[in-house]
Amino acid sequence: MRIHTLLMMVCLLLSAFQLQAADPPPPPASLLSINPGTDLWREVRQRDGEIEGISQVKSPGANVLVNVSGQSWREYRMQELVPKAGAAILIVLIIIAIFRLLRGRIMLEEGRSGVKILRFTTSQRAAHWTTAILFVTLGLTGLTLLLGRKFLIPVFGAEGFGSIAVAAKFLHDYLGPVFMLALTWLFILFVRDNIPSPKLDLQWLLKGGGLFGKHASSGRYNAGEKLWFWLASIVGLAVIISGMVLDFPIFEQTRATMEFYHWVHSVSAIILIVVSFGHIYMGTAALEATFEVMKTGYCDANWAKEHHDLWYEKVKDSGEPVAQTQAQASPAPGQRESTEPSG
Amino acid sequence: MASMKFYCDAERCIECNACVTACKNEHDIPWGVNRRRVVTIKDGEQGERSLSVACMHCADAPCAAVCPVDCFYTTGDGIVLHDKDICIGCGYCFYACPFGAPQFPESSAFSSRGKMDKCTFCAGGPEDDHSSEEYKKYGRNRVSEGKLPLCAEMCATKALLAGDADVLSDIYRKRVINRGASAFEWGVNQLKG
Ligand code: HEM
Ligand code: SF4
Ligand code: SF4
Repeated sequence: MRIHTLLMMVCLLLSAFQLQAADPPPPPASLLSINPGTDLWREVRQRDGEIEGISQVKSPGANVLVNVSGQSWREYRMQELVPKAGAAILIVLIIIAIFRLLRGRIMLEEGRSGVKILRFTTSQRAAHWTTAILFVTLGLTGLTLLLGRKFLIPVFGAEGFGSIAVAAKFLHDYLGPVFMLALTWLFILFVRDNIPSPKLDLQWLLKGGGLFGKHASSGRYNAGEKLWFWLASIVGLAVIISGMVLDFPIFEQTRATMEFYHWVHSVSAIILIVVSFGHIYMGTAALEATFEVMKTGYCDANWAKEHHDLWYEKVKDSGEPVAQTQAQASPAPGQRESTEPSG
Repeated sequence: MASMKFYCDAERCIECNACVTACKNEHDIPWGVNRRRVVTIKDGEQGERSLSVACMHCADAPCAAVCPVDCFYTTGDGIVLHDKDICIGCGYCFYACPFGAPQFPESSAFSSRGKMDKCTFCAGGPEDDHSSEEYKKYGRNRVSEGKLPLCAEMCATKALLAGDADVLSDIYRKRVINRGASAFEWGVNQLKG
């Protein structure tokens, strides 16, 4: 045993000496790495970024062996987007419910005046409702694609949900570009009165919009409305641009491009959806005599006085938009039809 | 339970594309769709290698994880299949798949891509075995006849292997040991001068 070991050590020493003495040419590169295959797999796995090869198959990504962004996109969609979108929606609904419990329905302090003031033109209302209906449809169909697997498959089964998802995708794909037109129309009609007036808007915000007691002065639109307008416009633009990239995958977009715009689209869509809940609640159930304004175009004079005092002063003074006494009173010529609720 | 896998031996693949052609022919796959493709890296440089790639039938399949309609299922043999009647052609599986396996018959405006198509390991789909619907949607079902995928069966250099993961790794391990032995021998000879 011992002799064996000794012999081996001598041999090793000798060979080392011999190697040094002979000073051979450096061994070929293929011998320097233990397994030549490791270089190949390092390339394939693309740890240092995407490496393209060539392929006889010509389609986006066909010349790339391993899709390096796939795993992070999967993690984003399944571990971030789905749970966080669900949580955000739930949290906003709970906040609205708590607000409702604390504040109840906010009534007009002086009740109705019986005097009506024109607030929105017919085209303004048309633009608002077109955009709103498209927004709700896009939101619901988008959320169907996003959350349906979790919440709708247990109800309708995989086959049933399959048909729902096909319809949702079809509607979402085709209504998206229409939404782009509607939002542009809305922007043009509403931008003038949504230009910020810093001092007034800041005051309004500091007073919490008058929701908690103190009265907050406001012009035609208050700071909250302006914030929603600009959020809807700017984030809406992001939703539209990203949506259009996703909607037309005919320009050889790579997977990385589609994944990036999907990220933009989903984040901005969720922001719009949760904030829109606040807008919808404020416009319908929260305040007395508010929903009718966008429905008919006319607001009650007391509503204007309480919520948009500075605007009220202006329209009252200019005397311009028609104060009508009650709906049954004879309308000024040309005003009647637009006061009717239009579907 | 078997776990079916492909393995492509980069030291053997000669980029002849016969697997691609055989697959297209066997399953009567439409233009523009290629369930299998050969990718060559470092083309024309030292260290050039080619690999034939298709769906690798992942154990924790990313495509199945992201599919909004949950239309994937894994067979008892570990083959990942999907139901074209449920697929909505959204393309998400293609974004998530590590190997670019999911294919779409069209990519037209309004993000309509048609039903996703991918390698089935020659195992058909959810329709009845050997029915004409199965053939139309998913191609030939060879696995139910006890055959392996055609691409691997006809690979001339036996670079592309298909079968149970344990069997494949045994074959490949033997190849690596043989290659290691000859590479070592070659290296020793070099050093001896
Ligand atoms: C110009 C407008 C829009 C266009 C062109 C558009 C287009 C798209 C497209 C193409 C997709 C991918 C669907 C697929 O590939 O199957 C998508 C997904 C989605 N969109 Fe839109 N969209 C628009 C507006 C909106 C709006 C306004 C919302 C929300 C209010 C929204 C919410 C969503 C959601 C939640 C998803 C699902 C993301 C997922 O499943 O991971 N989209 N949209
Ligand atoms: S399609 Fe891609 S992700 Fe799905 S099992 Fe095949 S290789 Fe894996
Ligand atoms: S393209 Fe079809 S299979 Fe792929 S994720 Fe979308 S619905 Fe699922």
